[in-house]
Amino acid sequence: MRNLQRRDRVKIYGDLLSILNAEANSDKIVLTKVQVQINVPFDRLKSYISELKELGLIENEYSLKLTEKGKQFLREYEKVLDFMKRMGLIYGKQKKIHENDPTGLCP
Amino acid sequence: MTEVVDFGIEVASAVLCFALVKFMFKPYALTKEGRYLGLPVGFAFLGISEAMLAIGVLQPASELRLLSLLTRTFAYVFMAATYYFSRDPAKKSRLIWSITFGLIIVALATLAVLMVRGPQVGLYLNPSLSVFLRLLALFCISYMCVRTLRSHMQAPEPSTLWIPIGFIFLGISQYSLIIWAADANYSQGYAFVGGLVARFVGLGIFITVAYLSFYKTKKWRVNEKPSA
Repeated sequence: MRNLQRRDRVKIYGDLLSILNAEANSDKIVLTKVQVQINVPFDRLKSYISELKELGLIENEYSLKLTEKGKQFLREYEKVLDFMKRMGLIYGKQKKIHENDPTGLCP
Repeated sequence: MTEVVDFGIEVASAVLCFALVKFMFKPYALTKEGRYLGLPVGFAFLGISEAMLAIGVLQPASELRLLSLLTRTFAYVFMAATYYFSRDPAKKSRLIWSITFGLIIVALATLAVLMVRGPQVGLYLNPSLSVFLRLLALFCISYMCVRTLRSHMQAPEPSTLWIPIGFIFLGISQYSLIIWAADANYSQGYAFVGGLVARFVGLGIFITVAYLSFYKTKKWRVNEKPSA
């Protein structure tokens, strides 16, 4: 049996924002590429994006840019994950969700 | 003079513990997962324990020392529970340990109620029970030390090595206090002062790690290009 860790909604939001932030310099964000990186079904990815828009963390579904609030959330998310990693609360080797994630914390 | 030094270390340790509560609460605030509450609750209990010991230095009372011992044991059990429930979810033997942890917490709570309940029981603790509580605390610290070391070994990085070292200092402190209690002298001996200093150093490591995580500038920041 594969050892898959369950991700809660906050972690998925964090991962998604992290990917969108890494792709911020791209002309266009391809959702299927994001879907592969974040490893969720496409319909759920769409619903997460809608939820993030409702929360005011991202704007414009087609270019998908992080708002100031989204950047602030992502900064705090990274700090807490870094702290949890240092505290030994994140168990096992974490898979890097994309190349630009030097923390290697995204599950 | 020794009392002043002891008092100073106890007060500083209590301040460090209460400062750590703020940082330890952040994982829970972000994830809303109950298992992460053990750390802030544990450090709050540890801070209360240190505060009691500080008062005990000024006004020696065996009741304060007993209450301090109990709250400290609670603190380490809560912290160990967080590490236990954060471990690999694929492990099978979880239920037995979950029951064990639950029983330990219930037993400690019962003991606390009995100690403060009434004049017929009073604030008295059997010496062997006192040693048992200290050993339980030492066991919890050892468990956390092993867990954090294992976590470090799975993804070795210098930044993840400091917390096991912090727990080692807390373990040395607890061991020193066991030696001091077994001595039955209850004087301010080397073991007692050494235990206080080791605990202070351990807490200092924790606060440094928290500071580095939350306030130190990182290589990679949101909306900035990662360094090559």
